[in-house]
This record gives sequence, structure tokens and C-alpha cells, in this order.
Amino acid sequence: MKLNLDKLRAIVGMGNVRTDPLDLFVYGTDASVHEAPASAVVRPENIEQVQAIMRYANAELIPVIPRGAGSGMSGQAVPIKGGIVMDMKRMNRILEIRPEDILCRVEPGVVDDDLNRALKSYGLFYPPAPASSRIATIGGEIANNASGVRSVKYGATRDSVLGMKVVLANGDLIRLGANTRVEASGYQIDRLMIGSEGTLGIIVEATLLLKPIPKYRCLGRASFNKLEEAGNAISEIIASGASPSILELMDNIAITAVNTTLNMGLPDVEAIVMFEADGQVKEAVDYEIAHIKAVCEKNNGFGIEASYDPEKRMKLYAGRKKLFAALSRYKDGLACTSLADDMAVPYSRMADMAKKIHKIAEKNNVVMTAYGHCGSGCMHTKILMNPVRKEQWDDARRAVEEIYDYVYAIGGTTSAEHGIGISKAPAWKKEKADSLKVMKAIKKALDPNNILNPNKLQDAPDDWVSATRLRYPVKGAV
Amino acid sequence: MPAIFNHLKEWQNELNICIRCGYCYEHCHIYKLTNWESDTPRGKLVLIHALLNGELEPSNEIAEKVFECFYCKKCSDNCSAKVSVTDIFTAARQDLVEAGFDADGVTARIDEDFCSRCRLCISVCKTEALSWDAENKKVVRDKIKCQGCGTCVATCPSGIIVQNEGYAVSRKELKERVKKINSRFLVFCCNWEIYPGLRLSRSETAQPDTHTVIVNMCSGRVEPELILEAFNRGIDGVMIACCPPDECEHNGNYKMMRRVAFLKNLLPELGIDAQRLRVDYFKAKEGVKLKKAIDKFVEDISAIHQSAG
Repeated sequence: MKLNLDKLRAIVGMGNVRTDPLDLFVYGTDASVHEAPASAVVRPENIEQVQAIMRYANAELIPVIPRGAGSGMSGQAVPIKGGIVMDMKRMNRILEIRPEDILCRVEPGVVDDDLNRALKSYGLFYPPAPASSRIATIGGEIANNASGVRSVKYGATRDSVLGMKVVLANGDLIRLGANTRVEASGYQIDRLMIGSEGTLGIIVEATLLLKPIPKYRCLGRASFNKLEEAGNAISEIIASGASPSILELMDNIAITAVNTTLNMGLPDVEAIVMFEADGQVKEAVDYEIAHIKAVCEKNNGFGIEASYDPEKRMKLYAGRKKLFAALSRYKDGLACTSLADDMAVPYSRMADMAKKIHKIAEKNNVVMTAYGHCGSGCMHTKILMNPVRKEQWDDARRAVEEIYDYVYAIGGTTSAEHGIGISKAPAWKKEKADSLKVMKAIKKALDPNNILNPNKLQDAPDDWVSATRLRYPVKGAV
Repeated sequence: MPAIFNHLKEWQNELNICIRCGYCYEHCHIYKLTNWESDTPRGKLVLIHALLNGELEPSNEIAEKVFECFYCKKCSDNCSAKVSVTDIFTAARQDLVEAGFDADGVTARIDEDFCSRCRLCISVCKTEALSWDAENKKVVRDKIKCQGCGTCVATCPSGIIVQNEGYAVSRKELKERVKKINSRFLVFCCNWEIYPGLRLSRSETAQPDTHTVIVNMCSGRVEPELILEAFNRGIDGVMIACCPPDECEHNGNYKMMRRVAFLKNLLPELGIDAQRLRVDYFKAKEGVKLKKAIDKFVEDISAIHQSAG
């Protein structure tokens, strides 16, 4: 790969091209276990610059990896074989807020929380809210179809994107979708771009659907002595037609982690369910909460409490919020890795999934916990392991494989919200075996030279452990 | 030269524990200025990890990154995995300096030729980065200890202690920022916990704020000239938001309090109502209180203006 840096500098300006080894190294990492250095980092400021970079890269067959905040957990933004990392964070303008149409238009580098801060004075919000919303960019969230804790009510990013502008591999600019809530006009190519992880085009503008900020929020918590009963309660809450805005599960490993490392004083039970309802009318929220409480009680839930008070809400939720930190400090020598971390399974199999995770972890000498946005079917786990020991990567590889075999056996799917990237690709290719050919045909049609974020999704290596250098100093070859 | 990372070695496990979530971006003053990921706390930890494990060769450029930190410690305090981020930076500073690499980053530098040896700077430095070299009769700086609060810069009567440009805290940059303000109110705000949010996105349609916030790292850095410059520009009110008296990492707020008391006496002589200058204190994580305090200040001063007709 021969890069003409002068050409790139002429497009984006001297100060927006970097090739210092330190920048190339940093832009070759994200929140995953993978790393691979970039060949150059460029920061375009407008659509024309993105088009010019793509025309150049397409002619010279140089890979281009679009990048938001680099908060992805599966290696989506890691340039497996080098190439130009296109940092989109300078395209960060909120172009238009239209409260009368409850929509807004933004550039891809706008930060989720920044957008919500700007929307607040209009009484509106943009709902997907992944946990990383403080740094995550809208472009990255769309490319990843991100979602978060309130997806049970408000859905994923795909449910909030009306349209977008995309620069294709050859530099052409296309408009997709519409400015309206509904659209029935042929191929839904905008939907194709959502979750494409930068492999089909570069999102350079998005039109987003907004929601009014609810006037009332009530958050509660219930304890369970049996994991199945918590799972059953979650399934029944959803199946009975309730509309919670948060419905979370924490298993005993998660509870123990929070209690021992952060002294949070959560009830020492087998499972905790956290729930929230929101709305514009208090009576409606009261109704939802009463209904959820009753279902929890019916399934032997106890110690049930709920509150509208912001401080109490924060206190009730603190254990869940601090879980990530707690898992990182679970035991000396163990690191918390994002592997097999966000499968989705049918509600009725939630408890089975949690139990199976514990069994597989034990069998493979790693520690795993089960928690997550179970109200939307999403189960989160982390693999806690000693990342410098080679054998532990063999253990992790086996555990990941066994977990996904079970996920597919019970009708689940690989990723609910964190995306596929590199580390989930081998399993995902198994799940999607019958549609891989179609995916490859789509990729070939839109990116014939395979320059857009190559070696990801259907084209990712078959072994994630050896796909790139691992970010940890592993003793002995992996 | 082969670098031996004696100080960093003991942090290997902590560097593994960092989950690289990137949530530290939100709190980093340097990143908010440059929008380059290699300036974030996570980016620096990635570099340090790479140095320690031989994936990158040490260089002055990497040393420069490691010295680009104000030690507001918001990254450490808010770290998802409770990693002691700034302690790791200090270890990296020590190792890189010992290996012969050089950088200034945000640290304060003294122009020895013009130093009057008054030693006022030594007395205001809480981190003991400045000391008196009796043998050579000069003030010496320990750059590893210097956290770039800038209190000595604002204190030096000769004006010969400086910080490099590029971090928005040099005298010239702060003055330029005051000159560019087009809102009615100005808030000087420390980065210590109280000024949250990434705020990197730009918005032309969102309602403009009544006030502009200048993050100055420590209130000890706010020179009287900056406040007078703001009033000279016709700004309605200047607020200094800083840590409560005993909680300042640098004791810079004591320095600031004395300056403000002096200024408050002086302002009426210049025809400026002293109420237009306000100091308020905020404990860690009191972002909401800060916002309310700014709104109240705007309201109070607007009322004074209205009654004055």
C-alpha cells in the first residue's frame, strides 16, 4: 500500500493528516481485545472532503476505516491490515432541530450526549442511549445499530433513524430514507447501512426521529432467590403487555462483584430485577409500576421498592451502573474482556441462558456473569480471565464457541447491540450461514474493490484470537 | 538507547485492567481542545502500554503526550475500571525522563535569565515542583512534580514563568479567548469535577447560552488582567467557579480570593459595580449546582441592570 500523503493533505489540510507512529498506534485500538496500527489518520470536515478521500482511496485500492469515538467492543474500527482511518469527529455539527416535525439533522461526528443536551430545551430527546453515549458519535451508533438500557421501550438506533446521506466507496453521494415516520418506497437501503459497520458506505449526515422527554419516571427493584423466577418475571412482564422503559437483570456473580469490590450493599440474593416506567401522565406510570410489582410478587419476588425521587432512583440503580467497574476489580490478575458480551435470546429462555453461561464459564476456567437489558432480550456477559496466559485465550475461545452454540440452539442471535466486528464474526458467520452469500454479493455490488473497512463481518478471519495482535502482553504465541 | 521502565513495570496489571471504554474522553480538557484521540487519557494509556511491552519505541513525541496532563484527575476519579490513570502518567514521566527523553507539555517553564529570584513562585506551589537551589542561586523546577495549574504563572511579578501555547492556558491564549467572547456573561471554571460533559459538537440551531465558560484548570491561574479585560469588553458579569477553600488541589483559590478582594475594592473606582464579579465554590460532582449558580448570577445581574434603567 503506497500512500500519497500530499494528496490527503491537499484534501483535508496539513493539520488533519497524521502519520506519527504514536497516532497510528492509538487509532488502531478501540474497546476490544484487538489492535492493529493504521497507515494514516485523516480528519475530514465536510462531505466533499469525504468524497475526495474515497475517490483517491478507491483508485489506489487503499482500505478506509471510518471511525467515531472508537468505543466499539468487537474491533469494528480496528484496521486489520492497515489503511486510512477516517476520524469523523470533526464533522460534528447539529445542522437543524425541527421540534414541529420532531426530528433533527446532524453530522456523523456529533456526540450522543451533546445532541441530547441541545435537544433538552425543546423538551425532546434522542432515545437509543448506549452506555457510551457520553463519547459515542451518532455515525458510530448508526453504523453499529447501537442501543442501550431503554431499548425495551424505545428500540435500537434503527428505530430512530429516518434517513441519511452516505458516501459510497467510489465517492458518490447518495440520499437514503425520508424525513417522515413512514416510507414505503422500494429498497430500504438506509436500513442496510444501519449496522453495516462501515463496510458499505460512510454515513455523512443523519436525520433522526426524536421523542418528547417523559414528565414522570419511576424506578424500582425486586429480589429473587431463584434465577429462574427472575427470568420468568421478566418474561411475564413483557408478555403481559406492560411497557417498562428499563427492565434489567443482575445475577449473583454481578451482585457479589458490586458488593465486595464497591461495598454497595445490594441484597445478597440469586438475582435482582430492576424496572422503570415513564410517561407524561403519572397515573399511567403508577399503573405500569403496580403491574410490574404484581408480576414480580407472583414470581416470588420480594424486597420490592420503587421511587419517583431522582436521588432514590439513582441509589436504587447505582449497583447496576457501577457493575462494569466492579467486574474489572473482581479478582486480582483477572481482566474484564468484552467477548460474547451481548447475545439476545427469547424472553422465555433468559433464565436458561444465564444458567448455561455459568456452567460454560466453570467448565472453561473463566469467570462469567449474566446481566443486561433483559427486557429487550439482551443478555450481557463479560469474560474475566488472566489475559497474559496463553491457555486462557484457548479457554476463552472454547467458552465463546460453546455459548454461541447454545444461543443458536435456543433461537437467539449473536449480538443485541455491540456489533460483530472481529471478535464475534466467527460465531456470527455460523448463525448467518445461509445468508452469507447474499451479504457478500451486496458488499461486492457497493464496494467492488473491497476498500471499506475490509476483513470485517462476513469477510472477517475465522479465528478471532489470531485475527490481530491482542492488546495484552500474552506470554507465548497464541 | 534501550529504555528500562522501572517505574512503569509495577503498573502492568493496571494497564491490563483498563477496559479501554474511552469514558475518560468526557473529562479531559486536552482532548476537548484538540479532538485527537492520542490526547485522551485512554490514548495515553495505550501508548504507555505499548512502550512497556516493546510495541512502540520511546520518543520525545510520546514524552510530550505524557507531559500533556493537568492532573485534574477526573479521568482517574471517573474511570469505569478504577484505574489510577494519572499515577501511571507520573511513572511514565519518571521513566522517560530517566531514559533521557525530554518534553514540557503543560508544565510551567522559568526563563532563568530574567528571573529576579524573589521566590514568590516557590511559596505558591503546592506540589513542591519549584525549589531554591542555594548553590547556584536560582529557582529550579521539577517537571515531573509540576501539574501545570499555572498559579506560579499568574503569580510571577516578572511574568517570566510561562506555559507552552496549544493548551489554552497560556497568558496569550487566555486573553485571546476573553477577547472573542460574544455572550453577556463569562464564567472561569476549574476542570476539577465541576465542569462536566464532552461538549465537542457544534450547533447553530440550538439556543445560544447567555454565558461562555472558559476552563482554566485552576482559579489560581485567573489573573486580574483577564477579569478587567472582560469588563473592558463590556461583559455584564464575570463569575469564578472554583473548589471550596480547603479542597483546592493547588491552593490556587486562596491566591484568587485575595486577588478578588483587591479587585472588588478597585472596580467601583473604575465605574464598575463590584457585584458584577462573583466567586462561588463547588464541591466534586456539583455540576448541577454550578448550572443553577450561573443562572442565578445571570438573573441577579440582569435585575441590577434593569433597575438601573
